[in-house]
Amino acid sequence: MEELMVKAEGISKSFGSLEVLHDISFSLTKGNVLSIIGPSGSGKSTLLRIITQLEKADGGTLEIKGCRLFENGVYAKAEEQKRIGRLTGLVFQSFNLFPHFSVLRNITEAQRAVLKRSKAEAEEKAYSLLKRMSLQDKAKSYPCELSGGQMQRVSIARALALDPEILFFDEPTSALDPELTRDILNVIRSLAEEKMTMVVVTHEMNFAKGISDHAIFMEGGYIVEEGDPVSLFEHPQNKRTKEFVKSFDD
Amino acid sequence: MQQLLLQMLDGTVTSLKVFVLTLIFSLPLGFIVAKGRMSRNFLLRGIVNLYIQIMRGTPLILQLIFVYFAPYYVIGFSYDRFTAVIVAFVLNYSAYFAEIYRSGLQSIEKGQYEACKVLGFSKTHTFFFIILPQVVKRILPSLGNEVVTLVKDTALAQTIGVSELFRVAQNAASRMFSTMPIFVAGVFYFIMNYIVSKMFDFFEKKLSYYR
Repeated sequence: MEELMVKAEGISKSFGSLEVLHDISFSLTKGNVLSIIGPSGSGKSTLLRIITQLEKADGGTLEIKGCRLFENGVYAKAEEQKRIGRLTGLVFQSFNLFPHFSVLRNITEAQRAVLKRSKAEAEEKAYSLLKRMSLQDKAKSYPCELSGGQMQRVSIARALALDPEILFFDEPTSALDPELTRDILNVIRSLAEEKMTMVVVTHEMNFAKGISDHAIFMEGGYIVEEGDPVSLFEHPQNKRTKEFVKSFDD
Repeated sequence: MQQLLLQMLDGTVTSLKVFVLTLIFSLPLGFIVAKGRMSRNFLLRGIVNLYIQIMRGTPLILQLIFVYFAPYYVIGFSYDRFTAVIVAFVLNYSAYFAEIYRSGLQSIEKGQYEACKVLGFSKTHTFFFIILPQVVKRILPSLGNEVVTLVKDTALAQTIGVSELFRVAQNAASRMFSTMPIFVAGVFYFIMNYIVSKMFDFFEKKLSYYR
């Protein structure tokens, strides 16, 4: 029996009078990768931000690994929200590293402050993650001394250091040059090979096709079409999906 | 001459007392004012805004006179001149520091707060370890500017009869029929501010390890 890691039912969200998410439902099982594509303003980032608790949903129900974050728009107690928050990790488009901390401290700070790990334990974890990101020689550097691709790898290491059960990526390569993009995609691919449960919001269609088990196309706050990535990208049924996919071929 | 210098050192001590006490109280108080200025409660925000407008919009010399004399005329309460100087300076400088803090706080990208939230940091941890250090780096130049001004503003304490450095120099000048003591006082202020600037340079350099 596959374990359900994310179960969203009828999520809705408005900013003022603007409805940005309508009745969004999907689920994600353990070890699977879901990619979400769609034009800017389609609500995909907002959806990610609701699941990672940066925004509050107005309605619907969301369960993370069987724990209910909100039901019919009513949120669980603050403590429960916090506990659920520890199951998820988020990698931002703009990295959001802490500029005044070294690379090492960027990765150890939350381990120590939130998970109460010892300094030695946190650093050991950080060094092993840095090695994996091929950044072992950058531990003492500051974010301003790194390239965009290196910064994004540090931010992935920072998220992984807390051992999240599900990792979310919000357009992780949109702020990067094409060459640097490849580095990040390789990292995500290797995580997928290790059966990390992930949700990736991306414009990299080929990449999404290659690594994800399921894909969703969103527009105007709706899930317009979903299915296995190869058929969604190669034989889209919906007219809007067709147009969107085609626009990337040109 | 030696006696004059001793008198002026005495005045300098008073000036330095005003300087240090004002900083001790107004640096933290300014922070509370900044928080009020950014409050979501519009009444609180309005009151704090008005306070800042008054402090920035009227002369400090007038504020000194008001703080010292108003309690006497209104409720017949009179108090120590030196205390009045500190109260007036703290009220005035808190308003200026508040605006500097606000500019610093508002310059921190939203993403820093979001990263903290996603990583699970508490609000206190977020503020003291992530936000505040970055704010300090950004406001240091404008803070230095304000602190240098404070050194010179201490000369206004004489308005309500506290004999600080400049008053001492003026008295000596009229006694000696010479402007020389005034220029000596100028050298004293210059030296004090030279030290203040060097200290700010030092801290700015210390924080220049990142961008």
